[in-house]
Amino acid sequence: MPNVNLSCFLLSYLVAFGLDVARLRSKLAWSRWVAILFGGAGLLAHTLYLLLRSSQSQLPPLLSSAHDWLLVLAWLAVLTHLFVSLLDATIASGLVVWPIVLALVGASYLVTSSQSQVLDFHRGWKMLHAAMLVLGTATILLGLVLSLLYLWQHRRLKGGQMRNSGLTLPSLERLERFNRWSILVSVPFLTFGVATGVLLSFLNDDDARLAWADPVVLGGSVMWLLMCGLFAWLLTGQRTPGRQVAWLTAWSGGFLLFMMVGLQVLTEVTRMPSLHGTGAKQQVRPMAK
Amino acid sequence: MNLLALYCTHQTTPLAIRERLAFASREQLAKAYAELRRRCPESEAVILSTCNRVELYLAQPGDDTEYTRQQLAQFLSEFHAVPLDEFVGELRADSGSEAVRHLFEVISSLDSMVLGEPQIVNQVKEAYRAAEEHGACGPLVHSLFQGAIHVSGRVRTETKLSEGRVSIASVAVGDFAKSIFDHFEDKLVLIIGAGEMAEETLRYLKDEGVREIVVINRNPERAERLAREWNGRAEPWTDLDHWLGQADVIVSTTGADRPIIDAARFRKARAAAVGRTAFILDLGAPRDFEPAVGNLDDVFLYDIDSLRRTCDEHRHARSREIETARKIIAEEQSEFMAEFHRRASGDVVSRLMQDWHGVSKSELDRLFAKQPHLTAQDREAIERTVERIVNKLLHPPLETLKHESRDGAPHGLIDALKRLFRLDG
Repeated sequence: MPNVNLSCFLLSYLVAFGLDVARLRSKLAWSRWVAILFGGAGLLAHTLYLLLRSSQSQLPPLLSSAHDWLLVLAWLAVLTHLFVSLLDATIASGLVVWPIVLALVGASYLVTSSQSQVLDFHRGWKMLHAAMLVLGTATILLGLVLSLLYLWQHRRLKGGQMRNSGLTLPSLERLERFNRWSILVSVPFLTFGVATGVLLSFLNDDDARLAWADPVVLGGSVMWLLMCGLFAWLLTGQRTPGRQVAWLTAWSGGFLLFMMVGLQVLTEVTRMPSLHGTGAKQQVRPMAK
Repeated sequence: MNLLALYCTHQTTPLAIRERLAFASREQLAKAYAELRRRCPESEAVILSTCNRVELYLAQPGDDTEYTRQQLAQFLSEFHAVPLDEFVGELRADSGSEAVRHLFEVISSLDSMVLGEPQIVNQVKEAYRAAEEHGACGPLVHSLFQGAIHVSGRVRTETKLSEGRVSIASVAVGDFAKSIFDHFEDKLVLIIGAGEMAEETLRYLKDEGVREIVVINRNPERAERLAREWNGRAEPWTDLDHWLGQADVIVSTTGADRPIIDAARFRKARAAAVGRTAFILDLGAPRDFEPAVGNLDDVFLYDIDSLRRTCDEHRHARSREIETARKIIAEEQSEFMAEFHRRASGDVVSRLMQDWHGVSKSELDRLFAKQPHLTAQDREAIERTVERIVNKLLHPPLETLKHESRDGAPHGLIDALKRLFRLDG
């Protein structure tokens, strides 16, 4: 297995982001492709890193640690971004996507990378729980990116600033449509993820007791309720101005990112008992025996 | 070879004169080619007539007959029955290499009213095709116009001369409307007034797939006419507020002396359309919409000035490419002229080569007749050696001829070669 560490792809993503920022000033066509190249190289290193960790722990990355979970989320974001960039190299989505990816990779430094040793029971349910939550979160992050692009495009159009012809953004109508869909798709994923989490805690009484005091679980539940509210509002409410939807999605997505990363870091730093951090292992390990 | 370009363009001549000298119909063009053939039977000709220019290109292979600017001006005067003194001062003429440069600049749209506009290429191609159809083309015109088409391709691919839209309507639709809406098939377009620019905007919107068009005008006949022309429907002026609430795209050119729609009226009209985006193109001067309308949520209001700023930026960006385009044209012009001059000396070159190789062949035949014991392989080896000797001996004079052709037909050298090697006979 090659010697790949976090810095390899973090630096690649930083260069790709730098090139995308540079395009705001100069409209060099090659810089876009070089950015995609660096992004692609980073993604390759990122994939190898996850595979390496997975083979070491004999666990899928989603289950091994919070560190790997965040990296899977970042990996999904990069993959989606590169796919969109290859379809249309002029879309300036990198300016929004790369900071989120860098934040996720940066946050993964701060949370535990010690691999879990407690997955010998209900492994399938746990896998489902983690997968549903990561997909739901990834879709909300997609909504966050789309809403930020929407607000950027809205601002450009209101100000009549269409000068940077080298940088294009999708139309407001398209961004709004995809944004609504991202919310509508994320909620079922999150709901299923939360439901499997509740089921898992019932399957193990000790887990159930711990779950209600776990800040990650509590924060996640608040997030889920918030998204359900947004979901219901979009489905049942009157037609809403796109900008309003974009602001709501941006706030929800931003809040999610903050909660998810912030609470993980908090449990890590304070050693609070949690099912999703280092503290969890200390608490849970005896139960696994 | 003689090449003459006589022209009057939007840069040199007022429209009032250009339109009198234009070849507007196919019949007129056919008659013009017939008349040119009668007056200049040895010449190849192309007539380029657009709303911005009337140009005549005349080329003949020999140096014997040379048509003058005066003769062509006379042709225009008599053909269009316009007194010569009314326009002769407006005409410009270029000959030889300058005529080539002029055509290359025209087709590359450096001479167009809108720098980098794409229509001129098709107009030149169409003029060339019409000349061919009327039997006015020959080898000179073919190589000149094919060269011009090649140049326009290079300029378009190697420069950014055609990047960015520069007309108000195209910027409005291409840069702004398409950044707001993803598709236009389900959008309702409301035209208030019936200005020329509204029609131009409608053309771009139709190209994007707009199906539903409503025209409202204080003058119902004008509304009817425009609606009929664009396959829309005319509605009474009194229903304006209703349609303001329904429309996705609003194009306004009323010619009113003060704004007709303020923010309060527009908000009221859109009360039932909450959450629906409105793209308003206010092409009136003075404006038809109060600027405060643009502050409403999901309303994107653009007036002539805001669109013109974008056009000017695009135009400025294009003008930065002129120098690069001129370099390409100069390079192609010099290449074209060198090729042309090489062709002028081509006859001498081929006769010289023919004579020398003829002499060598007859000498070899005599040698082989005297030496029958030579095998086929020996003969082939000797033939190749002699051929190489002839080519090597001819190489320096031919290279000199080629070199001299770069700056013009080397008449002195050609004469010297003809006399030295007796090529006249």
